[in-house]
Amino acid sequence: MMIAFLSNNEMVPLIEALAKRLEVIAPVLSGGQPVFATWNGQELALDAENPLSSPLEFLLPSREALFRYVQLSGRYTFEEPSLPARLILGIRPCDLFAVEVLDRIMTEEPCDQAYLGRRRSTVLVALNCTRPGSECTCAQMGSGPGCVAGYDLALTPLGDGYLVESGSPAGVLILREHPQFFREASNEEIARKEALLAASREQMIMVRPDLSLQSMQEAISAADWERLGDLCLRCGGCSFICPTCHCFNVLDLGVPDGERIRCADSCILSGFSRMTSGANPRATQGERLANWYRDKFVYMPEKIGLPGCVGCGRCHRVCLARFDRRKLEALP
Amino acid sequence: MSEYIPMQAEIEDIDRVTSDTYLISLHILEGKGLSYRPGQFIMVSVFGLGECPISIASSPTRDTLQICIRRAGRITSGIMDSRIGDVLGVRGPCGNGFPLERMGRDILIAGGGSGFATLRSLVNYIVDRRRSFGDVTVIYGARTSQDLYFMQEYKGWQMAGLSVGITVDVGDDSWTGNVGMVTSLLDRLEVSVGSAAICGPPVMINSVANTLLTMGFSNSDIYISLERHMKCGLGKCGHCNIGPHHVCQDGPVFSYDRVRSLLESL
Ligand SMILES: Cc1cc2nc3c(=O)[nH]c(=O)nc-3n(C[C@H](O)[C@H](O)[C@H](O)COP(=O)(O)OP(=O)(O)OC[C@H]3O[C@@H](n4cnc5c(N)ncnc54)[C@H](O)[C@@H]3O)c2cc1C
Ligand code: SF4
Ligand code: FES
Repeated sequence: MMIAFLSNNEMVPLIEALAKRLEVIAPVLSGGQPVFATWNGQELALDAENPLSSPLEFLLPSREALFRYVQLSGRYTFEEPSLPARLILGIRPCDLFAVEVLDRIMTEEPCDQAYLGRRRSTVLVALNCTRPGSECTCAQMGSGPGCVAGYDLALTPLGDGYLVESGSPAGVLILREHPQFFREASNEEIARKEALLAASREQMIMVRPDLSLQSMQEAISAADWERLGDLCLRCGGCSFICPTCHCFNVLDLGVPDGERIRCADSCILSGFSRMTSGANPRATQGERLANWYRDKFVYMPEKIGLPGCVGCGRCHRVCLARFDRRKLEALP
Repeated sequence: MSEYIPMQAEIEDIDRVTSDTYLISLHILEGKGLSYRPGQFIMVSVFGLGECPISIASSPTRDTLQICIRRAGRITSGIMDSRIGDVLGVRGPCGNGFPLERMGRDILIAGGGSGFATLRSLVNYIVDRRRSFGDVTVIYGARTSQDLYFMQEYKGWQMAGLSVGITVDVGDDSWTGNVGMVTSLLDRLEVSVGSAAICGPPVMINSVANTLLTMGFSNSDIYISLERHMKCGLGKCGHCNIGPHHVCQDGPVFSYDRVRSLLESL
């Protein structure tokens, strides 16, 4: 592992250099809100709250072409989309953990090549969280506030600059190829990183001391799902915004030539599991909501050995229903 | 190459099964064709309309790949409105199929409605490998006699030594056979206790399975083919889950004890 220091005023020159050979995705301000977008000189939003739409969008887009079909005298030829070489800058530990969750699901046999293709052509530069958001619970869910694996480079903001740690050969290469922007990190800076992350962790635990994977599992078994289902507005917002939600629909656009695309779908919506006969194995909103929670907190730990909730807090930020998403109880 | 890119299959023949159901024979244009087992399904597509899961209705012991399509909506209509020589997309085979190696020699096959398509694969497999099997009974029920699938094949099955019972829910003047539930056939036919394969509407599955249990079948020897909404057939899209399991990968065939414990655990 290489540990370096990048001062604040070297950040933009570094990104400019990287953007010469890669599409750099970074949090930038758009209409006053931070969003992940292709960087082409916009103001960076690295110290803003983690954007509401997660950078997983660039690994499993909410809409992507699986292939193009072209008809010629009744027969078809198929073209796969070409994938851009990308670097995601500023992916938070929670979202990085979600990448690991998706890796396990999508690349398990039979491997989803469309996902794997994007994943392989994307460099991940993580940004550790020294100032958690008000809904953040990565400390309780075990995904943050500092990332421990899965990154090519990990940045920790130290005030005057960033501690930069390499986590892969691709990360080392970036440090080696751009020596002009980095200097060696001091022991004091390394110690400062640990202290900042420990404080960040403590702050989250202090706000919600009783929350854990186990407390969620208990709440799930005790919940009155039909009551919660009645309170749910059925918008699907929680699932469309969740970084580990990966369910999709497949459809064709265009005749005789066109694209077979996949687009985000949600088990919260009633048509998701409805069958041809009209019968629906999850007939009530309560059953659908229960399935969403069980998938994250019960089924995924069982199937892939990781919780499907990374504690990013996004579902809490978007949900307008009058129930407590952590206690799974109606709000007074 | 992406596993979403289908093979191309030319429609070789289209046969009318009922007024809203056709039997379609396919010839796969690439590679060595499909190697599959009874109970598996394929993802069939009409380019421009989309893709949906369809059971394989033919037996792997025969050359032609066949599917039996019932008009349900856009894609199924698109498949049925195609002509001989047209090209469909085919992916698969998907799913597990019936575990023939564990099913023994004496087999009861029970179908209800359009669920009989997947069982035809199993019946014809047994007919073609007759000496590997013992007492085999086929019972099948549809709403009316006009809705019965594969009528011209029953004779051949009987000639191969299978015992075949057919019933309809609603009789009419043209029908001289049984009227009533599929389960009523179980009293009339001599059924050897062994293993069973069932596909049909949930109510029918449960009543047949429960009758079989009272006859001495073990619930781990009763195999059910389940239907779920499916989009990918690869265990990725999430549409077909029952708890932690994906019916498209872990199923569609489950033993009855497993289905019960899956559904009860929810
Ligand atoms: C394992 C399996 C085997 C099947 N085998 C056969 C078969 O051998 N022959 C046959 O005719 N049909 C079979 N089906 C059913 C067939 O897949 C559906 O009829 C078809 O998907 C409907 O698509 P459509 O575009 O024609 O109808 P649509 O216009 O899409 O919709 C009609 C209805 O079907 C539901 N539906 C849509 N897509 C699906 C889907 N992917 N899965 C389930 N329901 C859906 C819709 O919610 C709607 O209620 C099988 C289904 C499964 C899961
Ligand atoms: S965001 Fe809230 S209201 Fe919307 S579907 Fe999810 S639980 Fe229901
Ligand atoms: S059909 Fe997509 S997961 Fe089963």
